[in-house]
Amino acid sequence: MTSETLPLTEYAVCARGLTKSYGHDSTRVEALRTVDVAFARSRFTAIMGPSGSGKSTLMHCLAGLDTADAGEIIIGGRDLMNLNDDELTMMRREQIGFVFQSFNLVPTINAKDNILLPLSLAGKSHDREWFNTVIDALGLRDRLSHKPHELSGGQQQRVAVARALLTRPEVVFGDEPTGNLDSRTGAEVLSLMRTSTREMGQTIIMVTHDPAAASYADTVLLMKDGSIVGQLDDPTVATVTEALASLAE
Amino acid sequence: MLHVALANIKTYARRYIAVVLAVAIGTAFLAATLAVNTSTRATLKNSLGDTYKNADLVAFQDWELVPEDDPDFEYTELAMEQVEDIRKLPEISTAYGTAYETGELYTADDGYGVLLQPVSAEQNLGGMELLEGRAPLNADEVILDDEHADRMKVSVGDTVGLTTSESTKDMKVVGIQRTSTDPQLSGYAMVGLPESVWTKIAGDSGSFQNIVIDAKDSLPAAQQALAAYFAEHQMRDVSVLTADEKVIKDVAMLTDGTDQLTVVLLVFALVALVVTGLVVVNTFNVVIAQRTRELALLRTLGAKRKQIRSSVLIEALVIGIVASAIGVALAVALMAGLIQLLHVMVPSLSYATLALDAKGLVIPVVVGIAMTVIAASLPARRAMKLAPLAALRPFDAASVKNRAGKLRIVIGILLALAGAGLLAWGAIDGSLPIAFLGGLLSFPGILMLASLFVPASVFGIGKLVAGRSVAGKLAALNAVRNPGRTTATATALLIGVTLVSMIMVGGQTAKSSLNTSLAGEFPVDLTLSLYERQVDDAKTQELARELASLDGIEETSTFVAGTAEIKGREDEAPVQLMGVDPQGFSKTVLDQSIVPADGQIIRFNTGTEEQPKKLTVGGRELDVKVSSAALYQDLVTKDTLESLKLADSENEYGGVLIKAAPDLSNADITALVEQIADVANVESYMIDGGVVQNAMFSQVIDVLLAIVSALLAVAVLIALIGVANTLSLSVLERTRENSLLRALGLKKKQLRAMLAQEAVLIGGVAALLGLVLGVVYGLLGAHATLSAVGEMSYEIPWLQLALVLVVSIVAALLASVTPGRRAAKLSPVQGLATE
Repeated sequence: MTSETLPLTEYAVCARGLTKSYGHDSTRVEALRTVDVAFARSRFTAIMGPSGSGKSTLMHCLAGLDTADAGEIIIGGRDLMNLNDDELTMMRREQIGFVFQSFNLVPTINAKDNILLPLSLAGKSHDREWFNTVIDALGLRDRLSHKPHELSGGQQQRVAVARALLTRPEVVFGDEPTGNLDSRTGAEVLSLMRTSTREMGQTIIMVTHDPAAASYADTVLLMKDGSIVGQLDDPTVATVTEALASLAE
Repeated sequence: MLHVALANIKTYARRYIAVVLAVAIGTAFLAATLAVNTSTRATLKNSLGDTYKNADLVAFQDWELVPEDDPDFEYTELAMEQVEDIRKLPEISTAYGTAYETGELYTADDGYGVLLQPVSAEQNLGGMELLEGRAPLNADEVILDDEHADRMKVSVGDTVGLTTSESTKDMKVVGIQRTSTDPQLSGYAMVGLPESVWTKIAGDSGSFQNIVIDAKDSLPAAQQALAAYFAEHQMRDVSVLTADEKVIKDVAMLTDGTDQLTVVLLVFALVALVVTGLVVVNTFNVVIAQRTRELALLRTLGAKRKQIRSSVLIEALVIGIVASAIGVALAVALMAGLIQLLHVMVPSLSYATLALDAKGLVIPVVVGIAMTVIAASLPARRAMKLAPLAALRPFDAASVKNRAGKLRIVIGILLALAGAGLLAWGAIDGSLPIAFLGGLLSFPGILMLASLFVPASVFGIGKLVAGRSVAGKLAALNAVRNPGRTTATATALLIGVTLVSMIMVGGQTAKSSLNTSLAGEFPVDLTLSLYERQVDDAKTQELARELASLDGIEETSTFVAGTAEIKGREDEAPVQLMGVDPQGFSKTVLDQSIVPADGQIIRFNTGTEEQPKKLTVGGRELDVKVSSAALYQDLVTKDTLESLKLADSENEYGGVLIKAAPDLSNADITALVEQIADVANVESYMIDGGVVQNAMFSQVIDVLLAIVSALLAVAVLIALIGVANTLSLSVLERTRENSLLRALGLKKKQLRAMLAQEAVLIGGVAALLGLVLGVVYGLLGAHATLSAVGEMSYEIPWLQLALVLVVSIVAALLASVTPGRRAAKLSPVQGLATE
């Protein structure tokens, strides 16, 4: 997975030499140990690993939510490490979409306003046709005027996916996007995410600990102790479970 | 639950900083008020009671003991005889009478009026403190107070002449005593004489105001002995009080029986405390909302409802104790500092003392604690009602609907309507008490209804201001997310702003109304009366020309005043006449209709009596014209005046009439009066007229306005702490939401701006509503107070009101700085991670 020889354009997100540690001296934890990773465009990648493997830290750094100690992160041709807070914010607004595990929506505004939030923050108007495509694909047309607390958990996550897709970002990050959903609703949301890579060409990177969720991805990256230790293409629940079990050994 | 409560305070100490500050300020206000009261008493005791401040008891003839239904009652006169008797009582160590005969004291250079007091070396020297020399023992010896001795350049050993009702004799000054700080006495030179000499001077009329007594051993025994003595001698109207009690009685006599300053200050302290109470209610509401899960967990683990409530109340108690103690300490430090400052700035007030009594320290602490606990009891009750299941439910941070209680709405409407009715009645009828009662009822009524209009106004204005900005829209939504909280926060500020703007509008209207009515009454801006000089019109005209060259003076003319008798009314006082030269007069007078012609008299202030068309004044028949303007004398021309036979040539004097430049400020006018007094070499009280009176009233009103505004500013300050408090607690509550917004592309600056907007919305709208209410109350109140006095002229001090609004908005902006910083500092990941 070294990216030195690969042309940038093939990859939506590309990181080199990513290092991050928490704490000092005796309490020091190395969350990322010189990670080199690249994510191909229009692919759905899942990052898996046991607790404390550094998968969330990797995603937060890649998404510009957290800053790494060293290395470089290229999204849309720009190195995130060289950006100040405002530039990073603009980056998140325009190039990156998010689906979090919970508390995805601003509770005071309705579903439509939530979906449009990144665009409104940028002061941009939305592409009406694309908006219709997205909300129809996610089955949200009837729910647009609902406040978040009037929506079910699955509907809330679908609104979050719609919001992430609407800006046509370089990449959408999912942080356990189905962690709070029952399996049927979770499957629905995951299918929608896979469809968006297949049909809309959206790059998605998702962190999860659930083999069933990971099986929806095109590729699974395995992490342990702050390093990427393996990769599975076209994963199934069985192959993922097996790979995880071998990690634990 | 005590350890849980204490652990909570420790853990969440930061959340309580603002509420501690608010309670401390409110308590400090109350404590300072009470300290002002005790210090005033102590200071007055140091001054008014200077004569007997070190004594035990004071006996005096007390009018309150005179039976009303007995016209033949014989008043007691306390004389040397009684003093002698009292001295013989075994329970008494010393006794002396205080009384002041007048006399004149001559030095080689000059003569001075003096007060003579009997003193005896064995009897505490009549309460005087000897600084130098010794007590007067012989008939030709006196002591004198130090300040006047200095002024007279008299020292121990000098001989002075003393003229009394009895004789003129040379006296030897043998001692100097400290000048009394009693303002009633300190203006006079005080001479102490041996009692025997004084008795001779005073003669039969020599009675004492007070007999000042020291007990030998026990005070009660002395009191009993005195009571027995006066009863035995049938002196039923004599009171014996301790020196402290006597001072309080003296002070009460001076202040009309009530301690009005304290009452007024207490009213302001009450306003401050009500505002503080709102801040406390809000804080606990928010803190408990944030702790829902925690409290519910305690319930799940087996805590009883009562235990939950007492845990919250214990927190309130601890906060109340800490904050009240801080507040009282703050007040004491402040008062001590002020009195020190007074000593440095005004050395002659060195007798001003800081006095604190246990009551003044304990009451504010008790009130502060009680207020905090009572204000917290509402939120505590809400906490008590939490179901254990709430621990398991995800916390919904979206809008909380809290409906105002129906009962509160009904009472609010009733109060508001009744109050508005009374207010309108009072205003129309010109009755201040009725209007005041109306205000007293309607304002709380409106505050009770605040939840109906405050959130709606905040949201409406917020949406209007936000336009297309997302952060603005979110700010407007967040500001009314919890309508109850917004209402309480805004109400706290609204109270202060309403009261401040009410007195501003009332004061301005009072000023301009007085201005109008004075301008209508006084036809001349300034009148300089040269009472003490013989009439010399040539010299007066020279002075008038000199004055006309001063800045701020447009025109001058001269007049000659005299008195003359009216034929047929010889038994009345002669009429006062002002002779003017019509040409010059018409330039200086504001009302041309009162310029007299030869042979004409313009009469003022004639009351309701019918005036004849012609009057014979000073032997000449004059045409009468009546005017309602306010001049002290009737007007004639100088030529007419000369042709009259004047009543008393000693009452003739000249003077200058002055027209001042328009648009002079009050300070300009005060300065101008001083200048005129200087040029004319007269005392400034000889200069009168419309602008002087107007400047005087304006100044009094301005000073009152400044004082009242400063007092109310405390309430506004507390309310603004409340805004900061609510906002920072809301920020804590919305950590995750703000982090989400940051993750989705809200810049730090936008986040800070969003919070600033929220604060400004609440603060600005509260101030705006307060201003509207204040203007209405101010105009109605001014009408009720002043419409009886004369023509009203309504004026709204737009600039001052705008300033109040700007100050509120800027303060709200400042209030958002800390919470905004804290919110922006948090990285999106950290914020999203917090539960």
